[in-house]
Amino acid sequence: METNPGLVLVRYGELAIKGKNRFEFENALRRNISKAANEIAPSTVIKTRGRMVVRPERRMERVARRLQDVFGIASVSPAYAAERSIESITKVAGEELARAMEAYPTTQRIKFRVAARRADKRFHLTSQDINVAVAEALLPSIEDRIDIDLKNAELQLGIEVREEAAYVFATRLPGSGGLPVGTLGRGICLLSGGIDSPVAAWMMMKRGCRVIYVSFHSAPFIGDSSKRKIEQLVRSLSRFQPKSRLYSVPFTNIQMAIRDHAPESYRTVLYRRQMQKLAARIARREKAGCLITGESLGQVASQTMENLTCIGAATSTPVMQPLIGFDKQETIDIAHKIGTFELSIIPEPDCCTVFMPSRPIIRGKLEECEAAEEGYELDELIHQALAGAERIDID
Amino acid sequence: MRERMLPWLVADWGNPSSRHSFGVKARTAIDHSREQVAHALGAKAERVVFTSGGTEANNLAVLGSARARRQHGVHILVGPAEHPSVRDPALALIDEGFDVEVGQLGSDGAFDIDAFLASVREDTVLVSLMLASNEHGSIYPVARVAAGVRRIAPHAHIHTDAVQALGKLEVDIVELGVDSVSISAHKVHGPKGTGALVLASELPIRPLVFGGGQEGAVRSGTENVAGIAGFGEAVQLADEALVTTRAHLSSLKQRLADGLAEIDGMRVLTPGGSKETLGSIAAVLVGGPPAEVYLHHLEERGILVSVGSACQAHKNEASPALLALGLSAEEARQVLRFSFSRESQVSEVDAALEVLQALAGELSTL
Repeated sequence: METNPGLVLVRYGELAIKGKNRFEFENALRRNISKAANEIAPSTVIKTRGRMVVRPERRMERVARRLQDVFGIASVSPAYAAERSIESITKVAGEELARAMEAYPTTQRIKFRVAARRADKRFHLTSQDINVAVAEALLPSIEDRIDIDLKNAELQLGIEVREEAAYVFATRLPGSGGLPVGTLGRGICLLSGGIDSPVAAWMMMKRGCRVIYVSFHSAPFIGDSSKRKIEQLVRSLSRFQPKSRLYSVPFTNIQMAIRDHAPESYRTVLYRRQMQKLAARIARREKAGCLITGESLGQVASQTMENLTCIGAATSTPVMQPLIGFDKQETIDIAHKIGTFELSIIPEPDCCTVFMPSRPIIRGKLEECEAAEEGYELDELIHQALAGAERIDID
Repeated sequence: MRERMLPWLVADWGNPSSRHSFGVKARTAIDHSREQVAHALGAKAERVVFTSGGTEANNLAVLGSARARRQHGVHILVGPAEHPSVRDPALALIDEGFDVEVGQLGSDGAFDIDAFLASVREDTVLVSLMLASNEHGSIYPVARVAAGVRRIAPHAHIHTDAVQALGKLEVDIVELGVDSVSISAHKVHGPKGTGALVLASELPIRPLVFGGGQEGAVRSGTENVAGIAGFGEAVQLADEALVTTRAHLSSLKQRLADGLAEIDGMRVLTPGGSKETLGSIAAVLVGGPPAEVYLHHLEERGILVSVGSACQAHKNEASPALLALGLSAEEARQVLRFSFSRESQVSEVDAALEVLQALAGELSTL
């Protein structure tokens, strides 16, 4: 078994400059890192000056990869700790270099450099001193495979000397950037099961918003497998925030009432207005500040400027539409990157396909929408739908 | 595990492919197991293909990936001591025009990575190397081999049989750098008749079994829901216990080796003096009569050991994996295989040593 179990060094970017809120941001980041790391292996997280140090019992590499999905992180390195002495640093550096060199063929010469950083200026050697000392100590045994190349190094051995210890690493994996989830409020995302809404949720999480999901269900017109698909999507997105909550709201009675009382061409717009009203009620319950949808201007008939206005006017809760200016392909590219695309394209009917109008209205008018909602008990149906909503917590 | 399996054996008869709620319930149970298996291997859930066991997973990896890569070449390289469920399907591909090569061990029984990589060609379409031997527990440097193969053969599918290693060794599909990993439930105290081939990414694999398109159309046939439910749970339990299991097994194997050192003519086989071995398996050269005689004498005293590989017990021939260690055919028949699990006890090892000590005197006169 390895004697030195390894750790993950986490660098954070944007939040380092958040001034007064810095503590709040760091604490949120630390919580989120801890949750993600502990999914892989029991881990502790220590905050040091400008870094987080994650010590998993095992699976350091996989913990590092897992943290690449945690927002607020600039980059991560699987690393080994050394004592703050040049002897200890050199020894750990030699071990890490030997491991890193295994990835290269024995016949190939490797362009190499040492890149030390003395974060704690009280350490008696400067960064340059450390570079020279480590390189000189390591070189004799590996000269036949290594060329020092400061400009074009393909293998760079990083060393950071900090207050509590020195850290040695050979790889640096990019983080997802953004801000720690939970530091910028909560939003309710209307999840349809398509490609767009999961991407919208991801974009809001990236900017620090905790996302709670709402989906609408038209049983018995569609079955449990649609619900399962939504749950799978939420589960897949749950790696970007520590906990996810999904409300599954029965929507059939509302749809039937609209079918029976409103002009056919307005059905889709009216469905969406009721969905937003329901989502706004849930937002109030969850103390969420906004609704989040995957709308993109002009993508489908319900997404003209006029129709979006009609839908948005259904509630006073602000609606965030992070994809509004995206082309479909741009959204698809992100969906691939975040791993929701394959789930999204599994063919399952969603509630919008129930009683679809043959000719949906292109330029809806708000007065018409409001008139079409009068004269039958929509408010009561909304109340009932809310009472029948199922809450699913995904950890 | 029993609780997870039971409903699917007695009450919940839903077909996971059905769209009614009973079917969705069964599918959800499979989803859960898929995530448990994926988590243990660092893979994506949707890349777990459930099979009827390790043998089918190995056959699928070998036959399915080679056939899907036919246009890129015909060369196949398998490890020197592969399980028959890898070696035999590979050899069967000779009839389909493939050029199949079996790697060789060094004269001391050690795996020579440079020699193995020297056999890889630009047109190699499949390399299969086990992660740990089922006969003596040797651990092979799969990650380094995979990195080496990638440099030479851009179209090669790299497969590892991790049936033995699961639950005893860290098996991480990304860190191994392979394209597919075979595992089996019964090696982690799960139900027999369930296994999986786990893929690293969306890779072409030709099915062996065609039909309704289950398991991503790679392995048709209604899934064994009870078996898969138990498999997922067993994998998770084994994974959570991995660190303690590994330490426990190593100490048991060491105790056995130390004890055997006191008995004339018996020793644990350590190929190439390798330190990197699984603690769960000890191949013991007993000398004297064929090992089967020891097996039954031990059995009489309540200690169950094996001769060669259980999967090869039906073939009455010396194990190629043992011959590859440089043993003679006669010596290969004098090898007992001790298997330990996380539930094995120190007292059981001591009892076995006592019996072996007594038998050594008794049987050497045969």
